[in-house]
Amino acid sequence: MIEAFTDVNHSFWGMLNQGPLTLTLFLHTVIILPMIWLYFKEKKRLQKGE
Amino acid sequence: MAQNHSVWTSIRFWRQSAAWVTGFAVVLLILLTFDTMGQITMGTDADLQKGITKRVPAPTVINYHIGYKFSEKRGHEVPVIGKKEPFFGKEWSPKEAAALLHKGKLTEQAKNCMDCHTLLGNGAYYAPDLTKAWIDPKWKSMMAMTGKKTREEAMAEFLQHPERYPTHARRMPNLKITPDEAKALVAFLKHMSSIDTNGFPRGFSKGVKEFEAGGTYAH
Repeated sequence: MIEAFTDVNHSFWGMLNQGPLTLTLFLHTVIILPMIWLYFKEKKRLQKGE
Repeated sequence: MAQNHSVWTSIRFWRQSAAWVTGFAVVLLILLTFDTMGQITMGTDADLQKGITKRVPAPTVINYHIGYKFSEKRGHEVPVIGKKEPFFGKEWSPKEAAALLHKGKLTEQAKNCMDCHTLLGNGAYYAPDLTKAWIDPKWKSMMAMTGKKTREEAMAEFLQHPERYPTHARRMPNLKITPDEAKALVAFLKHMSSIDTNGFPRGFSKGVKEFEAGGTYAH
C-alpha cells in the first residue's frame, strides 16, 4: 500500500503524497481531529452550565 | 431561562477552532517553505564533478551532455547528465557559466518568451514548450538548415533570425536578439533541460518518437 519514495530530493511531504488526494486527506484529518476534541470539550462545559 | 447546549452556536468553540486551523496552517506553510528551499536550491560544480544528482544542477551543467531517459523506478523521464562536451567550443568556468545563465534569464524576461512559449510550466502554449527545448531532436534538422556544426550554434542562429528558418505555420517573429544574447539564451535553455521536473512536460519522449516516425509534432 505504501510505496517507496523515489523523488530526487527526499521530502517528508512528498513521502505522504502516495497518490491522488493522500496528502490532502492526511492534512485534513490532522486538522479535523483536534476540532472533534474541541467540540466535546465545549459541549461538556456548556452542559455543566459554566 | 433555557440552557443553550448547542456547541454550534458557541462563539468559544468557533474561536478555538479558528485559532487551531490558523496556527496549524502557519506552521505547515513554514515547514513547506523549508521543504521547497531544499528542492529548488541549485547544486554546485563539485556536485556535478562527483556525479551527485540535484533537482536543479549548477550552471556549469552547460559543459556536460544532457540526455533524457525513462526511469522505471520514477515512472517518467529523467534528465541524465553525461560526459563533458564543449559548449560554444569551450569549457565554461563556474563564474562564466553563472554570468551566462543570468544574462540568458534577463534576455528571456526582456524578450517575453512566455508570451508564446512555456518554461517550467509558466507561460503560453501558442509556441512549443521550451522546458526541454535543448534535448529536442528537431534541432538536428535546424543544424542542416542553418549549416552550423553544433546544436548550440544552430539554436543561436535560429534565435537571431527566426524568419529565415520557417519550421511551422506559426512563425516566430524576429525579436532583434543579439549574438551574445542568443548564446546566453541557449545556455539558459540547456540548463533548464537539465532540471529534474518530475517528468514535466508529460509525454515528451512520445512526441519525439512520433516526430521521428514522421507524424505530427506535438508535445
